[in-house]
Amino acid sequence: MAQATHQDDGHHNNTVTLLGRQITVEGGIYTVVFVALAILTVIEVVSAEGLKGAIHDAPDAAATLQAIKAAILLVIAVIKSTLVIWFYMHLRDEKPLLAVVLLLPLLIAGLSILYLLAIPPGGYSL
Amino acid sequence: MAQLTADQLSAPAQADHGHMSVEDSNNNLKLGVWLYLASEVVIFSIMIVGYVLLRINEPDVVAQAHEKLGVGLVTANTFVLLASSFFMVMGLRAMQRGNRAGMLRWIGLTALGGIVFLCGQYIEYSELSHLGIVLGYDLESQWSTLGMRFYAPTFFHGAHVFVGVLWALEVLRRGAKGRYDRNPIGIEMFGLYWHFVDVVWIMLFTLIYLV
Repeated sequence: MAQATHQDDGHHNNTVTLLGRQITVEGGIYTVVFVALAILTVIEVVSAEGLKGAIHDAPDAAATLQAIKAAILLVIAVIKSTLVIWFYMHLRDEKPLLAVVLLLPLLIAGLSILYLLAIPPGGYSL
Repeated sequence: MAQLTADQLSAPAQADHGHMSVEDSNNNLKLGVWLYLASEVVIFSIMIVGYVLLRINEPDVVAQAHEKLGVGLVTANTFVLLASSFFMVMGLRAMQRGNRAGMLRWIGLTALGGIVFLCGQYIEYSELSHLGIVLGYDLESQWSTLGMRFYAPTFFHGAHVFVGVLWALEVLRRGAKGRYDRNPIGIEMFGLYWHFVDVVWIMLFTLIYLV
């Protein structure tokens, strides 16, 4: 009888190699990813609140600090999203076509965002 | 072309009728879900652009809103959604190991996480409405430009969580009957949707509440 094939590809292993060390934890890589997501979220919130105070205390450097804050937070958010997509959505095990399916609209949306951001807030004046 | 129901597609024997292996059928279903999610990327991107433009053009309004909003409740809600994503993937893992009871427990926790998230969002919206941050466009209000740009992406996301909770309950119902015992593709499809909703929230949380 036909059955869904299931490969023992490491998802079902409770032992994970992390930074050269083998860790055994219930849930394996999924638990490690969840802990990473939680830690990154804490770092995100602490960074945002800390930099908010710094921006408030140094109005002269507010624009620079705000740009740094945005860059740090967006990098962390992208790392978190990638972890979910790569491990929880199993993109790492799928055919490259699925990565294209995901990345193409992201690319189009990204270009559209850049285009919209280039338009002056008050519109173009002749 | 005859339309296939999810029941038909989840039954391995049925897939053989169309000269298609179960693996091919599963891959097609997953491709379909990924294409759907790709369309969702574009929709959410439009809403995010609307907010980002406001963030750039009216930074003072957003800064004041951040003061009002705080991050306590929304951070707790973020942890709930991240945890529900973990529960989801553990549910799929349990079913792939043939542990139906474990799958039902994990997917049940996933649905519970979604419900808790929605309750948190309701509390947040109630607090915001008391502060005067509402959806309506009122020229007298300093929040008139913020309302729609804030509520559109967050409510649309909340609607996705609501649909996800309903889907989780349906997965529980089918799972309890043993529908996924031989082929857990139905759980995997739901998982793709639920994790996508999580990814969208990761971006919204950062862009709207933290940046």
